[in-house]
Amino acid sequence: MVPSYMQGSTRRVGIMTDVHRRFLQLLMTHGVLEEWDVKRLQKHCYKVHDCNATVEKLEDFINNINSVLESLYIEIKKGVTEDDGRPIYALVNLATTSVSKMASDFAENELDLFRKALELIIDSETGFASSTNILNLVDQLKGKKMRKKEAEQVLQKFVQHKWLVEKEGEFTLHCRAILEMEQYIRETHPDAVKVCDLCHGLLIQGQSCETCGIKMHLPCVAKYFQSNSEPRCPHCNDYWPHEIPEVFDPEKEREAGISKSNKKPLRSRQH
Amino acid sequence: MLTLLSAKGGPRSLIHLPTSLLHLNIVIMPRGQKSKLRAREKRRQALEESQDLGLQRTTSTTTNAATVSYTRSNDGASNEEGPRSSQDPTATEPLHRSPLDEKVFILVYYLLYKYQMKEPITKADMLRNVIQNYRNHFHEILKRASDHLELIFGLDTRELDPYKHIYVLINKLEPNCDGRVSDGSSLPKSGLLMLVLGVIFMKDNCATEEQMWEVLNMMGIFAGRRHYIYGEPRKLLTQDLVKENYLEYRQVPNSNPPRYEFLWGPRAHAETSKMRVLEFVAKVHNTVPSAFPTWYEEALQDEEERARARAAARARTAAMASARSRAMAGVRSRATASSSSHP
Repeated sequence: MVPSYMQGSTRRVGIMTDVHRRFLQLLMTHGVLEEWDVKRLQKHCYKVHDCNATVEKLEDFINNINSVLESLYIEIKKGVTEDDGRPIYALVNLATTSVSKMASDFAENELDLFRKALELIIDSETGFASSTNILNLVDQLKGKKMRKKEAEQVLQKFVQHKWLVEKEGEFTLHCRAILEMEQYIRETHPDAVKVCDLCHGLLIQGQSCETCGIKMHLPCVAKYFQSNSEPRCPHCNDYWPHEIPEVFDPEKEREAGISKSNKKPLRSRQH
Repeated sequence: MLTLLSAKGGPRSLIHLPTSLLHLNIVIMPRGQKSKLRAREKRRQALEESQDLGLQRTTSTTTNAATVSYTRSNDGASNEEGPRSSQDPTATEPLHRSPLDEKVFILVYYLLYKYQMKEPITKADMLRNVIQNYRNHFHEILKRASDHLELIFGLDTRELDPYKHIYVLINKLEPNCDGRVSDGSSLPKSGLLMLVLGVIFMKDNCATEEQMWEVLNMMGIFAGRRHYIYGEPRKLLTQDLVKENYLEYRQVPNSNPPRYEFLWGPRAHAETSKMRVLEFVAKVHNTVPSAFPTWYEEALQDEEERARARAAARARTAAMASARSRAMAGVRSRATASSSSHP
């Protein structure tokens, strides 16, 4: 039986070898990976499954796989973490835009808890929703009644599965969730959703202009104002009052041997 | 927690989720009188309660164009090069998906998801959550999904138990080692390990070798007899999994002739929990964890302890962070003080 992706298609479809398959397996297991890890992963797969082949350029490698994944309405999507601009990759589901990936493993009331948390996060100024505020909504959940204590554990489960991230008692979306659900979020909250003025992507965390209110992602700000000693709002031209973050530099990161959990603090600009 | 794995009831069907982007059109709600929350809720429901299959993909290209432009402009803000979505908005053919085609790829997602969660897949689950009205086409849908999984992901679908119709995905590429890069932090896919941990848990956290084999024999797994999936089980349990710190295998104290017992290893404690293992066992028996009240209680207590440990760790981290920032503030203010004294 010829698989459907090889039938009657005039588009160029990539060839899958064990190198690509193993890469997909591992990427899928991790859910989301940073670019550096993705490159290591790619090299590992070549080493194990086709050590004589030349390692293909990452972009082509991924495009190749994506052309095969098209028939399943999945793709390897590239994004950037909102807080420090790290490039990340995740396998996302294109056909089902909502909480589909979660649905098999979570009960109705748990999914509803996630939706409530999501709403609070989107509506918040900072992109974070406090644990207290989320837990106060347990009475409104659909499905079986959930106690606050249970809800706390469910929230931890979301963190474990990389849907939410917790920082000091507050929750925001994991970068993987943003990649996976951006479309869904934009469709279900078209009025409340925030968008970056520079890249026009969905914005959960970012900086805003205090005069005109436009918002920008931290990595977008970093790039836009890089080596600009007098940063001004791209929209209203007013002085940009916030600290400008550094542009993410993978080389510097690796040399300094900084572990992932120990992020560099924002450096203030030199006056 | 109670309803985490309820095999019965609960509309957790994947079909209740948007299976086609066509329904985005229904999503545009009239503004005005409707409260924001109600409008949102309706939008989400319209997206998620769609059961209409056999939809064309034409409309989805419009949305995908939007998706692509988001991706592209994101790339613009971050890196210049970068893999773009392969969904080409200028692609002209509307891929007509038959309802059966849709079932196939939904089943693919479902199987992949179960694989990642290291949960067994029962035929009953597949029928209820995915196949639904197409029960008569179960084998065809499963076969096509399995072919995709084999060709694209290198995963083999095997029927683990032909009586209970339990399936499992085997990694063809790395049959012994799964889901690990260099910092291996996930359990081997072997459902056998979960079973073994379950046996140990249910025998009061320590199972003798006799007890262990009694249970495994019932599942058709025998010491010394090479299993078509797990290989030789005795070596796996007493050597491989011990070496990887998933299991502890030790002599029963004061036993003569020496007898042996199994306990959870430190890695099992780190990578999974009593509740997850109980969920696995419940699933295999097509029931829920609360059907085993004593073990369920113990698992709940374990969850609470873990939550307390996490909270304590968070508090420690927060304390360290604020201590550090206070120290930094001290350094900075001293620096400014000293610099300002040198005009």
